[in-house]
This record gives sequence, structure tokens and C-alpha cells, in this order.
Amino acid sequence: MKPTGILFFPAFDWAISPTHPEREERLLYTRDQIFEEGIMDFPQIREYQPGLATAKDIARVHFCVPDIDTHITEAHLVSAGSALLMADAVMQGEVRNGFAIIRPPGHHAMTVTHGNRGFCNINNEAIMIEYLRKKYGVKRIAIIDTDVHHGDGTQEIYYNDPDVLFVSFHQDGRTLYPGSGFMDELGGPLAYGTTINIPLAPKTTDTGINYAIDNLILPMLEEFKPELIINSAGQDNHYSDPLANMAFSAKGYADLNKKLKPDIAVLEGGYSVETALPYINMALIMAMANIDYSNLREPDYVPSRFKESKRNLDYIKDMVEKQLNVFRKREEIIAENRQKAGDFHSYHRSIFYDTEYLHEDQRNELRMCPQCSGFRVINSSCQHHNGRLYKVSCISVPANACSQCQEQARRVYRDMSTYNHYDFVYLQDRLGDEYRSFDLQKDLEKVL
Amino acid sequence: MLIGIDVGGTYTDGVLFHGNSIIAAEKRPTDENDLKNTLLQVLDELLKAAGKAEIKRIVLSTTLVTNILATGKGERTALILLPGRSLPYSEYKICPETYFLKGSIDFRGKETESLDKAQLAQIINDIQLSGVKKLAIASKFCNRNAEHEIAVKKAVQEKCPEISVSISSEISSKLNFPRRAVSTYFTAMTIDKWNEFADEIEEAIKARGLQTEIHILKADGGTMPLQISRKRPCETVFSGPAASTMGGLALDQNEKNSVVVDIGGTTSDISLIISGQPLYASRGARIEDKFTHVNAFALRSIALGGDSLIWHDEDIIQIGPQRQGVAACFGGEHATVTDVFNYHLNLGIGNSEMSTASIEKLAGKAGMDSADLTANIVDMAVERLTRTIRDMFREWENEPAYKVWEVINKRKFHLDRIIGIGAAAKSIIPMVAERMQVDCLIHEYSPVANALGASVVRPTLAVDLHIDTQNNYYTVDPGGLKEELRKAGDWQLEDARQLARTHLDKVCRERGMEEYAAESSFYMEEQFNVIRGWSRSGKIFDLGLQVSPGFIKEYKGVEI
Repeated sequence: MKPTGILFFPAFDWAISPTHPEREERLLYTRDQIFEEGIMDFPQIREYQPGLATAKDIARVHFCVPDIDTHITEAHLVSAGSALLMADAVMQGEVRNGFAIIRPPGHHAMTVTHGNRGFCNINNEAIMIEYLRKKYGVKRIAIIDTDVHHGDGTQEIYYNDPDVLFVSFHQDGRTLYPGSGFMDELGGPLAYGTTINIPLAPKTTDTGINYAIDNLILPMLEEFKPELIINSAGQDNHYSDPLANMAFSAKGYADLNKKLKPDIAVLEGGYSVETALPYINMALIMAMANIDYSNLREPDYVPSRFKESKRNLDYIKDMVEKQLNVFRKREEIIAENRQKAGDFHSYHRSIFYDTEYLHEDQRNELRMCPQCSGFRVINSSCQHHNGRLYKVSCISVPANACSQCQEQARRVYRDMSTYNHYDFVYLQDRLGDEYRSFDLQKDLEKVL
Repeated sequence: MLIGIDVGGTYTDGVLFHGNSIIAAEKRPTDENDLKNTLLQVLDELLKAAGKAEIKRIVLSTTLVTNILATGKGERTALILLPGRSLPYSEYKICPETYFLKGSIDFRGKETESLDKAQLAQIINDIQLSGVKKLAIASKFCNRNAEHEIAVKKAVQEKCPEISVSISSEISSKLNFPRRAVSTYFTAMTIDKWNEFADEIEEAIKARGLQTEIHILKADGGTMPLQISRKRPCETVFSGPAASTMGGLALDQNEKNSVVVDIGGTTSDISLIISGQPLYASRGARIEDKFTHVNAFALRSIALGGDSLIWHDEDIIQIGPQRQGVAACFGGEHATVTDVFNYHLNLGIGNSEMSTASIEKLAGKAGMDSADLTANIVDMAVERLTRTIRDMFREWENEPAYKVWEVINKRKFHLDRIIGIGAAAKSIIPMVAERMQVDCLIHEYSPVANALGASVVRPTLAVDLHIDTQNNYYTVDPGGLKEELRKAGDWQLEDARQLARTHLDKVCRERGMEEYAAESSFYMEEQFNVIRGWSRSGKIFDLGLQVSPGFIKEYKGVEI
């Protein structure tokens, strides 16, 4: 059997700030544990060296305001680049699956980036998915976000993409950052039912999460038939995590991965750096490499410690049933939406950047295309810390776009570039793999 | 005067060195069943050449431990492992007589599960009944807290004083429990035989009326006093290739990037020198297919040597890997790699006519033109060496990196020159260098470079220090000591460095290598703030300080 790829990049020289949860120490004990276990020497494991993402890899997903260099440090390029490298190893058949144990994380980063949200600047998984689509022609992908926080960035990026099934289970948004991920967030009108949220009550245990895996996530994967399954692998559902309130164990994480069988897992959050991460990372590696993990447990774990309440399990059962129904009716509903729609579907969003205290306002216009999932225009404004108010227009052509949408999007880009209302206008043409930005003040265009 | 002797698998080489020249060199076939005797024969020849001159130091490199392990002639040894709650026990395929004991320590040195005394008593009972007399013990994270290993050792010794026990914390403090367990197991298995050998050598030296230091060459290209080797026999494995690499470096002392190719009878050993420093195997020496914590040079061996047989199978001409005696030009029966180069390049080695005859015979049988055949083989041999060398660069360039700057400043290997070692080097290496478009160095003393290397290398030493100020302790290797921190308050990197230096100085004194302490340098410096809540509650440091491989102070190069 082929080995499991492991790319361990702890970024021992990078922190958001010295005492921040996202600091150098975060993967120190994980390093100690996995190196002491000697698992990198095992024939079942193949270790990889980190890679570097390019500006173009990032532009495939993000509109960085005003530009990529403003937000992206070398650490981000290495973290995202490492996810790409792991993906290459899987796609080229060097390994059966791969786990990128990397930081900084990414799943809160949305399409438009004015700064850091939820410890994330750029979305490692989305950058990886668009890279996979471009390089290998992969179309259908499922992302299972197993972080305790709602993967709102990844959700936003794929909200209108019917070829990406995004499923997130997380602690209920009424009790935890980022305050979203409710049951009614189900995808845009042309991608309805391919965003599925599973908000869980605090203190939910292995039993509760595994019920949702067995009865909702696995059946959806079975029916959706993705070419690749990606685990956006947060580790903060753990009972000892200091930033959340769930009751998941290392063994629970191993079970979950054994069932999901992700092709690629990418580390997201998890801040119980000493009492959980070393054990969860071992659990994931063992589960992915098909090594028996029944002997693995955290030192303070007592199997009888956490019991799922009947009330909570009933709540989960009910939710699972509802969400599975929505998922199964998605094609009908999309067809209805197409019929009753006008030319454009528009909506407004207000986004808060908790790490940097920025407030962004967005107006989104999605073309209700009869052929494809439609191009999107995001008009965004946000006052940065330098006092400058940035007003930008971002035009995004999806990877599965029709040529009509591509043509029309290019026209919009040209029109906007002459319209003095905006500071910057961006065109993200994934179909043509071309990325433009136009600085209206300097009358300067850059093309990637 | 200095003596270096390398007891290799096929030949034993020795040199007597003084000032800047080799006074005498000696080469003999190795008697595998009596290494000591071969060694002493070579020594006696060198002593004869030395006359009445004082011998200051003798350095030996031997395959004794490598042979014991390779031939399964080590003593029967049992292993007690304390792996804690993680991988399944079935993953530890180290020793047929392995006992698993409950009890675990975590990465901070905290006991997370106490020793199971009843289980331990049962294991000791079983071991006693089994009649095994050697025991290795390894616990996970003993490098942060060795109390379990020590307690188990004590319990075994109280009940069975006849069993000799080795514990892993005394062998290495590096992370990687399986490698530590393997290293300890191999140590326990070879320690008595090694000590027997050491006794015999000491006696023989005494019998010759010599009052000289005796040192043993280690896999890391440095020496250690014979006395120190008594506890660490495994460090002597692969010292032969280390002698060659250091020999290559001794011939060409500079800060360049070089590759040392030692072309022997049936194999070529290739090692890298980066900016004048030999490259280590990042995973430690691999002994009998198992990774260990023995610090060794990164080495690739390919089945291609001067005596490799040339043969043909239908239309395909092949090189080796088998050997059927020496090259035709040296009186062998069949054409070998040496004959091919001899013929192709008109080198005039040995009896060239025999090279020509053997090749024409082979070409006739294969229905090929002799010139085409040799051109073909030369190309194949050069290509195989070139590819292996390039693979080694690539592997080094692709080592995992754990810091942003390491990834951004990705290393790239630029080769300056190839150093050829071994008798066949002078015919093959110039062509490899030509293909790679670099210089090459073939020295008059290339054939005995290994023994030269052994005679002039300096001692090496690595000190690994782990400090945890939150838990107020440090652990240090060699020694596997755990001590309380005496300095209260805030620790800075410089304080940690100072502690590492203090330990290095102490060990240098014990090993009589004080003069090299000042040349030590840090090869690893890591510092982490331990944050609990939103404030700092301590620091963790991991430091590595070493006296790296090099030459004794009096060595200023060799002249012909």
C-alpha cells in the first residue's frame, strides 16, 4: 500500500503576536510527540518538505485589498504552498492521502481580504482547490470542515459553487466566533444545498458528532460523489480547548477521519497546544495511515467522562434529518430558483475582522446564468488602519463558467475601470486563469 | 608520531604520520575471523617504521560492531519498552524478546501514568526464567524524565544482579523513541564483545611497551577515547566510510563543496562535504535496516567498484554487482570495470595487455566491437555515479524545514569538486568530474586516504540541552542527566548557551579534549515562550552544541 504523506510545517518563527494563541509554541509539543513516536521513519509515512505558493495561486481565490503584498507574509506563502505540495503528492499518486500540519491557518479568510479574520489571512483549502482544478482538471470536491468554529471563509468562497460540497460542523454560532453557520445557510440560489451547516450545542461529545458523520455527512458524500474529499482539520472540538466548549476526544478525531477517508487533510485551528494537539495530530496521522489507534489516548482522558444527553442527541437527529432532506432536494430547488430569477441576484453583507477590528461592507451581484453558476461582482468598502477608506470592485469568474459569463465579466471589469467611484477594480478570471488589478488613482494595471 | 588504522571489510590500511608526511603505509587483507590479529600485524609494521620515535596517538576504525550486528552474532538481549498510550505495541518490531510495561512520561517530563509495579515484577520474573543476561530498557520521553527507566533498571538489578542493563537515556537524548530503543538494544547486544576487544587492544599496546593514547573513530568522523567507547560501542559503526570521507577532506583541506567518492573493489561509497563540513545523515545511521541515533555521515553506497565484473546477457552488457577476483590487468580472469577504463582511456594500469585480451574476448562473445563495448560501459559507470551524486544533492536540498526562513532561503548545492579515494579512483573519477563539469582531485595518497583520515582527525562531541523554565529543570546529553535550574527568574538565550557551554567544557575535560572546547559551535538554537492564559509562564530552549569533525591542531596538510 502507498504511504500517507505528512507535511509538518510548524512555522517556529511566526506568530500573530507573542502571546496570541496563534504563536510559535502552538505545534511545539506536537513536534515533540510525533518526532518522539518516530512515526516519520515508518514505511507507512512519507515526509514532505514545505513549498511556496505564488501570487497567482492566491489571486485564483482572493481579492487582496489593495494588493497581495500588503497582507501576505512569507509564512502565509509557505503554509498555503505546503497545502499545494501535499495536494500534488496525492494527485501524482506518490501517496494514498496526505496531511498538511501547517500554520498559519486559513478557513476564516473570505474572497475579499482586507486583513486578518479569525487568525486567517488567506484560505489554504480554497487556494488548494483552485490549484487542483487548474492543474489537474478536478471538478467535484467535498470539504468537510471539522474545526469547532464555523468555516465561514470557505463557505463564502464556495457559496455559489454547486461543484463544491461544503459541510461544516461546529459549535453553535450563538455561542462562539464567528457567529454564523446556522442551518439556513444553504448556498446561493444556483448552488443551493451544497453548503450544509451542522451547528452543535456546547459540550457535544464524540457520540453526537459521530451520529452526524454516519447519518448525514457520509450519505451526502456517497450521493455527491466528489472526486476528492478534503478535511479542513481543526482540532478545537477537543474537550480541553481553551477557546471553545466542546467535548470531543483524540480518539473521536481518529474515528472521524477513518470514516471520512479524506484524500487531503489540512490543519486549521486548535489551541489546546499541550493537552490536545500532540494527541489529535498523532490520532489523525494514525487514522490516515491505517495504523490501529485503539491504544491512543490523552493522559487525562477517561472514557466515561463525557456522556451525550438524550436531549442533545434528539436535537442532532432532528437536524440531520432536515439537512439531509434539503441536500436531496437541492437540484429541484436550484431549478425553481433559475425559473423565478431575474438577470442578477443581489445581496448585502457586513463583515467584521475580529483580529484587526475592521468593518467591511459588501454588495454582491450574482449573474443568474442559465448555463453555469454565474459570475459575481463584489463591491466592497472598508476603512483600513492607515485611515484610508478603500472602495473596490471585484469581479469573479468561476472555474466552471460559460464563455458568455466570462465575456460579460470582462466587460464589467473594463467599464468599472473607467468609473471613478472605485479605488481598485479586480478581475479574477479562473476560466482563463488570468488575474487583473487596476489602480484607478495611478492608472496602473497589473496582470498575473 | 601518529598512527591511523582502518580495519575495513576487505583490506586493513594503516599509516604512520609525522609532521606533514606519511612515513609509512601498510595494506593487508582483513582476516574477518581475527580482526585483532590483522590490526596488530599492521600496527607492528608501522611501529617498526617508527623505530624509537614516540607514538603520540593511535586511532582505530573497525568493523567489529558492524560485523557483530550484520551477522547476528550479538548476545541474546531482551528489551523492555514503555511506549505509553499511543502507537500499537505491534509497531515495535525491534527485538524478538520484547516486554511492554505500563507507565508513561509526556514531552514536558511529567509522569502521566505511573509504573505498573505488579506488571514489572512479572516481567522481571519472566526475564529471569528466560535466562537472558542482557537487557535494554527504553521509555518514551526519557529524554525529559528518565525516572521510569532508572526505576526499572534498579528493580531488575535488585532481583537479578547477573543481568547487565543498558538504559536509553544514557545512550541518547534526541527525540525518537524507536531509534533510541534500537540504539540501546544494539548497545546491550555488543557491549561485552566490544569490551573484550578493547581489553585485548589495551593489553597488546601495553605488551609493546607503548604509552600512547588510544582512540576509536566514530561514525561521525571524530574520535573518542577507547575508555569512553566501552559504554558506547554502537558509535563505532560505519567508521570506515567516515575515515574515507575525513581522508578525502584531509587531502583537500578547504571550505569548498565537495563530493568524496571512495571506489573500492565492489562498491563505491559517496559522501558530501558542504563548505568544508561533512554532511550528516538526517535520520541517523541505519543499522540492519533500522534507524538509530548514531550520528553518521550521509552515505550512499552503490554496487560499482574497480573489480565489478563485466558480463553480457543476450544483447545487454552489464556491470556487476558480483566480483570474480581482481581485474585482468592485475592477474584476474575476467574483464572488470578497471580493465574497461584501462582499455578505453589507455591508462597503462598493471598489465594492460591482459585488459585488452579480456575485453576482446568478451566483445567477441557478445558480438560487439571492443571500442563500442568499452565506450558503452564507461558511459554506464559514469552515468550511474553521476546520477547517485545528483540524487544526494537533491535529497539534501529537500530535507524538511520547520521555519519560514529555511523555506524562503531554500538551499541549493553547487558542487566545486570531486575527491576520488581508493585505488580505482584515478581511472574513473576524472570522467565523472568531466561529465559534471567540475574539478577533481586524485591524490598520490588516495589509496590510503582512509587511514590518513583516521590518523589526523580530532575528537568530536555533541551536547544536547533541553531547558524548561516553567517546570524548572534541564536535561542534558551525553549523560542523560536531569537537574534543577539554579538560576531563578528570566532566562535569556545567552543563559541557555552558557549552560550548554558549561556542560561541554565538563565533558571535554573528562575526555581529555579541552583544547577543542573553544572551537565548539551551536548547530541548533530554539527558544519558545510558554504561554498560559495570555501571559508568559516560562520558556523552553532546545540547544545543540558541538565540536564538529575536523583535524587535530598539528595537522597542516600532507605533502608527497
